Amino acid sequence: MSQWLAHVIERAAAVDDWLSPVRAEALAKLKEQTWPGRRTEAWRYTSLHAVEDLSLATESSVQAEAPAIAGLDALDLVFVDGRLTTPLADLDLPEGLTIRALTDKSEAAEHVFTKVKPSHHLFGLVNDVLATQGVVIDVAQDAVIERPIRVVNFASDNVESHTRVLVSLGKNAKATVIEHGSGTGHSLNTAFAEYDIANEARLEHYRFALHQGDAIHVGGSHFKLANKSRLNSTLIGYGSQLTRLDVDIIHAGEHAHAKFNNAYLLAPKEHFDLHSTIEHAMPNGTTEENARGIIGDKAKAVFNGRIHIHRDAQKTLAELNNRNLLLSRGAQINTKPELEIYADDVQCAHGATVAEIDEEALYYLLTRGINKQMALVMLNFGFVQELVFDMPNKALADWLQPILKQRFEDMMERS
Amino acid sequence: MSEQIDQALARKYDAGFVSEIESETFPVGLDEDVIRRLSAIKGEPEWMLEWRLKAYRTWLKQTEPEWAHVDYPKINYQDISYYSAPKSMKDKPKSLDEVDPELLRTYEKLGIPLHEQEMLAGVAVDAVFDSVSVVTTFREKLEEAGVIFCPISEALQKYPDLVKKYLGTVVPRGDNYFAALNSAVFTDGSFVYIPKGVRCPMELSTYFRINEQNTGQFERTLIVADEGSYVSYLEGCTAPQRDENQLHAAVVELVALEGAEIKYSTVQNWYPGDENGKGGIYNFVTKRGLCEKNAKISWTQVETGSAVTWKYPSCILKGDNSVGEFYSVALTRGKQQADTGTKMIHLGKNTKSTIISKGISAGYSNNAYRGLVRMGPGAEGARNFTECDSLLIGDKCGAHTFPYIESSNPSAIVEHEATTSKVSDDQLFLCQQRGLDPEKAVSMIVNGFCKEVFRELPMEFAVEAGKLLEISLEGSVG
Amino acid sequence: MLTIKDLHARVEEKTIIKGLNLEIKPGEVHAIMGPNGAGKSTLGYVLSGREGYEVEQGEVTFNGANLLEMEVEERAQAGLFLAFQYPVEIPGVSNMEFMKESVNAMRKARGEDELSSAEFLKKAKAACKQVNLPLDFLKRGVNEGFSGGEKKRNEIMQLIMLEPKLAILDESDSGLDVDALQVVANGVNSQRDGKRSFIVVTHYQRLLDFIEPDYVHILAQGKIVKSGGPELAKEVEASGYAWLGQAQEGEEA
Ligand SMILES: Nc1ncnc2c1ncn2[C@@H]1O[C@H](COP(=O)(O)OP(=O)(O)O)[C@@H](O)[C@H]1O
Ligand SMILES: [Mg+2]
Repeated sequence: MSQWLAHVIERAAAVDDWLSPVRAEALAKLKEQTWPGRRTEAWRYTSLHAVEDLSLATESSVQAEAPAIAGLDALDLVFVDGRLTTPLADLDLPEGLTIRALTDKSEAAEHVFTKVKPSHHLFGLVNDVLATQGVVIDVAQDAVIERPIRVVNFASDNVESHTRVLVSLGKNAKATVIEHGSGTGHSLNTAFAEYDIANEARLEHYRFALHQGDAIHVGGSHFKLANKSRLNSTLIGYGSQLTRLDVDIIHAGEHAHAKFNNAYLLAPKEHFDLHSTIEHAMPNGTTEENARGIIGDKAKAVFNGRIHIHRDAQKTLAELNNRNLLLSRGAQINTKPELEIYADDVQCAHGATVAEIDEEALYYLLTRGINKQMALVMLNFGFVQELVFDMPNKALADWLQPILKQRFEDMMERS
Repeated sequence: MSEQIDQALARKYDAGFVSEIESETFPVGLDEDVIRRLSAIKGEPEWMLEWRLKAYRTWLKQTEPEWAHVDYPKINYQDISYYSAPKSMKDKPKSLDEVDPELLRTYEKLGIPLHEQEMLAGVAVDAVFDSVSVVTTFREKLEEAGVIFCPISEALQKYPDLVKKYLGTVVPRGDNYFAALNSAVFTDGSFVYIPKGVRCPMELSTYFRINEQNTGQFERTLIVADEGSYVSYLEGCTAPQRDENQLHAAVVELVALEGAEIKYSTVQNWYPGDENGKGGIYNFVTKRGLCEKNAKISWTQVETGSAVTWKYPSCILKGDNSVGEFYSVALTRGKQQADTGTKMIHLGKNTKSTIISKGISAGYSNNAYRGLVRMGPGAEGARNFTECDSLLIGDKCGAHTFPYIESSNPSAIVEHEATTSKVSDDQLFLCQQRGLDPEKAVSMIVNGFCKEVFRELPMEFAVEAGKLLEISLEGSVG
Repeated sequence: MLTIKDLHARVEEKTIIKGLNLEIKPGEVHAIMGPNGAGKSTLGYVLSGREGYEVEQGEVTFNGANLLEMEVEERAQAGLFLAFQYPVEIPGVSNMEFMKESVNAMRKARGEDELSSAEFLKKAKAACKQVNLPLDFLKRGVNEGFSGGEKKRNEIMQLIMLEPKLAILDESDSGLDVDALQVVANGVNSQRDGKRSFIVVTHYQRLLDFIEPDYVHILAQGKIVKSGGPELAKEVEASGYAWLGQAQEGEEA
């Protein structure tokens, strides 16, 4: 048993708020969990050694600003070491949008908390029992919120923290939510977000997991899609000492559409692990997932992309494509695209490649006088950049593109 | 429409009869004494017994794997008999004429006449009945070429050094739960040695038959292809229709030394159980080959039988430029469950592997592909291509794909693709509109789906495989 | 400028160019016509050095240098440009970064200074305008989601930007309506300066009405079977290739 987990369980007993009955259920489940080892399938390639006996402060008084993004006019909600530092009362909210603290009892919170995220995520359960200061974003029926809502989640040094985001999108509502995480110090942050997307609602979602250095970041974004709803999600991840993310997209209604792009760029020695699960529980859903990774020297990436088509999910279209590039001999990728299919009238496919180069594209660049090395750099970065170009929010794309390019060039140099 | 498909797939199990043969069978149960007795009956050298006992002790400490996508009641290993042999085999027959006619009839009924003169020219057969090898044909002709093809029990006596040198080098004693069990209690199986530079003059094959009740079958096959040699080996298996489940836990080890090539084909048709999932064989098999420099190992399998299949024929591509191939058709129906695939472990430079897997699920069955492609740090310029396709017939079955890809070499290229499809009403309609009955139409579609794999089978087996799937190999769906 | 002597080349196991001779002087425009599958595109690939296209025999000199010994990008830097029949899409690499990299590679090879971002942008905008492509094309992935006509215009825009010595246009007219054809032809004509040479591969007289060739060659079965002046193209237009006396493959190659 992990010392750290034992401690979590102890601390959980002291949490007392209006969600306590739900937290108690989570705690019961948490107590049943065994500490994952190499034989635990979900943790096969990611060691939790760094967390096992971790003991960090559980409070901090650090202050931090939301990182500015040129051209982005977002409604910022700032968490520093798990503390919500934005005074919610001061926010100038458009009609149809309500933002509350998790400490305040609300129907939306009740409706979403632990109701979207599957309960098998060990760290999700930890977050269930310890995250007290979350935010609840509630978008009313038919409301179209143009201004993106950004949840900034900063982890400082020597602190353990837990961040929770709950989002409820009413029928035919539309919103953009950005989860923007960062931190380089020796910290442990769990950050879980649950999205309940009602009929015909549309969510544009970003998760930037830009933790680096000694940071340990474990989190997830979980989506439940009702009839004819749409999700367009982009996840950009760096590695850090340990970054592990779980994304679940659950088609709980018919005719829902999900697009999920994710890219991971690992600087030397970083570790990044992404598990995505697409659950098609109802008919006529479509999912398109693109996962792309570039892995620097002595870094290790883990990608597990599961598509699960339930018996009733006839006429599903689901596709997952994973491409990876290793920059040096010490780099490592472990990828597992999975299909689990119980309905016959569906079209499902997945593909995964490592180090594949499009020869025709390479030739085209060469005929334009670009030397081979440069052409390879362009193509290699291009396959991640493609996902950046694909982001609907251009301000975010323009901000990210040079940052990722710089990171890629640094990675090339150091590999 | 789906009713017609079901009919087309609802073939009978033809090999389900029981032969009335007097046998000497151990009482059920397993302990060190059983292993000692077994080893004594076989007249094995002392080191072999030690080896078995070590395997047994390892096995005791291991747990049965649970990660596969299969579900079956716990096996009671004390309820199984670990040795059974026809009485008539007590003094091993010197020629076919001395073999119990009932045994010969059994094989004839299975379409494997053991009389050499009746046999398909060019295939040498080793027939294993329950725990022992009953006859190996064409031995003289093979001996002329220097090829050794005999029961492994015999090899242990005649060529102990050869066996000792290679046994357990590819699949170590304690490799996994079932391999450890096999190492402890294996009874028979085939041993093949192809000398340097020799192209084996004929196809070699082994037919396995479980007959006796409550027995497990634990055969062990070891094939060594010395430098620059070539051999093609085929394996077939059947069992009677019985209500209880029977365990088959085999180990196959292949050693392809520098420049050698081994082609290993399997048509697995163990009894799958009845339509309600009663009875049938648990087929828990470990198959692995080791390739030295420039060597090639090619696994081809057509898996239609067994209640539960757990099987991953693999290649360790140790030598530079070595090649591994895996071609598989797995068809499950009724309540069958299959979790099968391969592992390609790329260690050497410029190693190449190809995986083509076709899974067909019908009825209430579940069919999973599970594979591993690993590019080691030294696998400079290595390449893998994998294609996994599943075909679902009906909406009560499942088709699954679990490919593990691990790479730690930047110059190694891995490509994996998987798709699922169904036999569509449109396809069926088109075939029918062209005058084909639905049965034939399904056969043709399934056959077209499997074409890439059937192409890899030796002629004799291709026919058999086609028959197994009730598919005519003539027509091909374009 | 370009001399091809007795060229034989194959793709995979199949010999496609079988003894081709061609001499092109500075400033000349040569049209190459011929049935589908004759090897016209193959010739462009061989000259540009595409992998998999193997020269079995023959010589090619380009401005005095042995072209066949050069790498793909070296040929391009030496001034050989190929406008593709089917330009490939490269999502993720923007037209802008691609063209900038390319223009500067050419300039470097010519011993010129690299363009600053502002200079480059100015030039790119002008070129876009010339071929009638909206400016936001520069931000999109190379050829990504472009229509057939847009792809062809993008090729011509690159021709304008890169200022090659010899440009090979592989069916730059196919699939274009008359207006687009005019745009392409104007783009090409704007680059005719008496020194720059062109090989124009086409099926139609139509293009040659706009870009007047000095010579017309008929390529069939891997060889130039007939050469002449602009009137030859009109002859082909009128009577097809039947006079070549062999069955022609119907499909687009
Ligand atoms: N990669 C290839 N492998 C084999 N044959 C090819 C390949 N590419 C082209 N060909 C063949 O070469 C011939 C010439 O093709 P191409 O040069 O494209 O003709 P054209 O451009 O004149 O229509 C055709 O018969 C075509 O089928
Ligand atoms: Mg052409």
